[in-house]
This record gives sequence, structure tokens and C-alpha cells, in this order.
Amino acid sequence: MQIREAIRIAFESLWAHKLRSFLTLLGIIISICTLVAVVSFVDGINFYVATKIGRLGLNTFTLQRFSLHEYTDRQAFMAAVKRNPILRMSDYEYLKTHARLPIAVSAFVFGGFRGSGTVKANGQSMDQVAMRGVTPSDMSMVTFEVAQGRFLDHFDEVHRTMVAFIGPDLVTHLFPDVNPLGRHLIADGHRFRVIGVATRQGNVFGNSLDQFIIIPISTYRKLHGNQDSIGISFKVANSSLINPAIDEVRLLMRARHHLSYYDKDNFGIIGSSAIMDLWHRLTGSIAAVAVGVTAIFLVVGGIVIMNIMLAAVTERTREVGIRKALGAKRRDVLWQFLVESAVLSAVGGTIGILVAWLFTTVAGHLSSIPFKLPLSAVIIALFISTAVGLFFGIYPAAKAAKLEPIVALRAEA
Amino acid sequence: MNPMATSAATTVESIIRTADLWKLYSMGVEQVAALRGVNLDIRRNEYVAIMGPSGSGKSTLMNLIGCLDTPSRGQYWLNGQPVGDLTDDELAYIRNREIGFVFQTFNLLPRATSLHNVELPLIYAGVPASERAERALDALRKVDLTDRKQHKPNELSGGQRQRVAIARALVNNPSLILADEPTGNLDSTTSKEIMSLFDRLWEQGNTILLVTHEHDIAEYAHRVIHIRDGQIAEDRVTARTTVRT
Repeated sequence: MQIREAIRIAFESLWAHKLRSFLTLLGIIISICTLVAVVSFVDGINFYVATKIGRLGLNTFTLQRFSLHEYTDRQAFMAAVKRNPILRMSDYEYLKTHARLPIAVSAFVFGGFRGSGTVKANGQSMDQVAMRGVTPSDMSMVTFEVAQGRFLDHFDEVHRTMVAFIGPDLVTHLFPDVNPLGRHLIADGHRFRVIGVATRQGNVFGNSLDQFIIIPISTYRKLHGNQDSIGISFKVANSSLINPAIDEVRLLMRARHHLSYYDKDNFGIIGSSAIMDLWHRLTGSIAAVAVGVTAIFLVVGGIVIMNIMLAAVTERTREVGIRKALGAKRRDVLWQFLVESAVLSAVGGTIGILVAWLFTTVAGHLSSIPFKLPLSAVIIALFISTAVGLFFGIYPAAKAAKLEPIVALRAEA
Repeated sequence: MNPMATSAATTVESIIRTADLWKLYSMGVEQVAALRGVNLDIRRNEYVAIMGPSGSGKSTLMNLIGCLDTPSRGQYWLNGQPVGDLTDDELAYIRNREIGFVFQTFNLLPRATSLHNVELPLIYAGVPASERAERALDALRKVDLTDRKQHKPNELSGGQRQRVAIARALVNNPSLILADEPTGNLDSTTSKEIMSLFDRLWEQGNTILLVTHEHDIAEYAHRVIHIRDGQIAEDRVTARTTVRT
């Protein structure tokens, strides 16, 4: 029998029992919806993190006093505090001179505000502004661009000028109606002249990325002392050079720190890939739990489908009898019920996907997390739901196929 | 006619030929014989009625002839082909190509239109969709129901439903039309209509086997076979047999 006929029959009987079909499909709908929503969430948040977290642009990595592992593990951190030397400007100068693979190297330092990060200007005040000190070369690492004015330059660096490059949030709050360029602001008790404004980057987890003030690293260290460890950023020409460049920097640093072959690194190199690895491990476990829960839902949903298909076979014994009398072979009847069960389940999967899509669209509007509904997730969800229907339809369909035509024809309609 | 005389050679003319057909059912430890050695020969374009009281084995014989069941013993040739011990699927194929069923309760699919009901045997015969619709319409034309092709069974009268069923029986050009109490659920006026339709089909060259327990319906046939206790009790020609050319 042509599959089209089987599909037609499937939709017909689905439509004939709308409420029953819906209730039957609830399990599949919920599980597919959960699956798609979680995938969408994880995917969206991964994308979000990949594009927004940190100042790490594409093809960059940083050298810091501590590795990511040491930052995330308390014991390792305590040990590393004793072991890992502070990174200084001399390290920056050394690497800038000796590392040959990176096309740009910059130094940065942040977290300098002793108080609440209050910035005052123009009679207004603003809290929780992040202050960073960087070298002018940092401009090639960051993900924003200059919207107005200029970035720090070599002159600022050498002369430790009191200038500030600010995030657009500061303009909104402190200089709502005036051109901020050339204006002064007071940060951490010091007076800076605004030389430039960055383009807007938006939020990460509800925290603004545009609430910062960037000053020359030389000025920063003049004001705050030079005991804080600096970070050093590197940029390479393309992604294939990241790992060779990381190796180069690592070798240079190990030599500089006189580490023997067996010693562990006493510094940390954090590439976008390292951050993403950590992040994926986190979201991976979220996804794993969701997949586990979904699998249980799906089995339950599948059993419900099997149950309703068994009922349908009993209900339509007469129909099977008629079809067999007219020449339907076992295989034809088997196919009919298998396809019906698969279609039923696939319809449930489709509804689940639609509900998930609605949910993620609404949630995407209400939160700053950009939910994504990848096509692959949709295809996989459809595939899984159809497969569940096929699998749990085997037994009822086989039962229908085995019916004797004379017995089936005698059944009550 | 002596059926034993023809059992040695199968003529092409024979649509149905059985030799010593037995059907046994086990009731617990005991075996009950529903048919005890039936010998039957029905030729092309015959119009035969099978009569008998309930429990006579009439339905069993009908199921065997319709290839819905297999005999316990004996042989059955349908259109010259031995079908006594075919598998389920082979029987399904034979039912599809060789037999057109007409049932007492019509047995139409309730959710399908007349046209689609008539198309069903063609679907299982693997006929492509375009040709299916055409042939189904032809069959509906033969029973004068083309104007009801999009109606579902519950929108049709009993007589119309039976005509749809007859169209369905005709659509695959079967060797044999097997009608099991086709007027059992119809009033006498409608019954007459249906029976005159059978007359017409016979005139067009179809072979018709009618199972009934009503004498006046059986008299439409040209030959009546009485079954009693699983055996042929009487095999006679009716008054109408002279009509046959």
C-alpha cells in the first residue's frame, strides 16, 4: 500500500478523535517541548557567552597570573596564590619583544576601584562603574569600536595623562544632553578628561557591558601602585595560529619563570576556547539532565501511544477485516497502523516544537538571553518523536496485521 | 449435473471447483465438522444461490469460496488455480484480484467517501492514484451512483450503501461476485432494486454466487444449491434458467 494512503488514514483517524489524540500526545508534546526548549536555551546561552562574555574577541587569548582552573577551584587557587608570581609590565615588554606569532600584544589591569566604583560628572553620579587600565594596543583586542572621539594613544601611555575612554552608559547617565568629549569626570577621587566613547555592546546576564571607564595602564599604576598583577592579551591573525601562539607564549613564560620540565605552569593562559570549554561543561550537564528527563517522558509518552493504538486496533477490528477481505496483506495492515502511530507521535513532536518555539520567543523578549531554535534541534526532535511512535506502534500494528479476516469481519462495528 | 464426473479434469470454464471439501473446528477435545465433503462446480457466468438454515455450513462454505479461510481437507480450484493451501498473503492477493465481496452489513469504511470506498481494492492492487479514481468512477457509474461519489456511508440510504459495496466488488473486474445475504438489511422495494442490479451484472457476463436464506431472493438465481449438515442436499435449476442465452 502506498505510504500516502497510510498517512491519509492516520490524519483522518487523528482528526476523528481530536481530544483523545491530544490527550494521548500530551506526553510526547511535553517531552519534545522540554527537549527543544532546553536545547534552545543552551544554544542561545552558548552563543551569548561566545559573543559577549569578557573582552575576548575572536582570535585572542590572555596570559594571567591564575589559570581558569585555579580561578574556579578554591584549593587550587590557594596554592596558586603562593606559587604564581605576579605578572608585571616587564613581562609585557618581554613578551611584546620576543613572541613572534601574535600580531598584537596589550597589557591590562582592572578592578581598581577601592570603593563602589562611583563616577561623578556634570552634577550627576553613577555607581558600579568598572575601571580598566590598558595599553593603547588593547583596542585591537576588544569587541567594541570607537563611536566618538578617539581611543588612548602612545602619548597618553608615555605621559600618564589623566584621560578616559568611556562606555556609552556613562554618557547616558552623566552627559545626557551634552557632548561628553573634553568634559571632565571624577572617578575614584581623580579627575579625568573624556577623550572618546565606545559603541554599545549590551548586557550579559543583566549586567551592562557598557558601564566602564578605560584609562592608560601607566596612569592606572601611577594612581593605584604597581603591586597588582597585570593581564596580557594576545591577538593572532587567524584561528589556526591560536594554539601555536599559546605554545610560544607558554614556552617563553616557562623559561622566564625558570620552570623545569616537570614543573606545572605557574601562570594561566586563557583562550576563548578555554572559557568555552568550561562553559560547555556547565551547560553540557544541564543538557544531560534535560535529556535524561526527556527520555523518561518519551518512554511514558510512547507507552501511552502504544496503549491508544491497542485500543484503536480493537476499535477498528472490523475495518481491518474489511480491508483484509478486499485484499490488504499483513504488511499493508502493519504499515497502516505503524504509520498512524508514527504520524500521531510526529504531530505531538511538531506541537511540542511549536510550544517550545513560542516559549523561547516570549522568554527571549522578556530576558536578555537570546534563545535560539536551531534547525538541527527541530529535525532531531521530529526524528525522535517519529521514532518513538514507530517503536511503540510495532506491537499494536503487529496485532492488527495478525487478525484473521473472518474473525475481524464478525467483530462489532 | 454430477460433480464427481468433472473432478478429474479442470475445465477452463469452471470458476469454482471443489473436491471433497471438509472443514473441521475443534470444540475443546471434540472436533466438529462444519463441512463434510462438498463437491461443487460453478461455471463462468453462472448465477447461483446457496441456501440453507443457520448452522448448515453455508457460511463456512462461503468463507472457503471467498478465500477468507482454508479447508481442513479437500481441494478448491478458483478459476483453475488451486487455492486450498495458500498462505494468508497469497489468499489476500486472490481475494483482491478474483473475488468481489458484497456483505449483508455493507462493510463500507464509515469515514471514507463512496469514491474512496470503491477505490480500496485498487489501492491494495497497487493501481496508481489517477487510474484509481477513474476506475472507481466507472464502477460507480455501473450502479448509477456517480452523483453520490463524495458522500460518506452515513449520508446514504441502505440501498445506496449496498450499491456502493457492489461497485467496490466490481472495480477490480473479479472472476466471481460473492454476495452474502446482500438484501438481509434492506426493505423489500430496495431488495428488488438490488436484485435487478445483480441481474444486470449477470447479463454483462459476471459470475454471481449468492448466499441467502430467503426463497424469493434465491429464485432470482438460475441455480439453487441447498446445504444441510455440511453437505449439498439439493442442486437444482430455477425457472429463470431459461432466460439464459
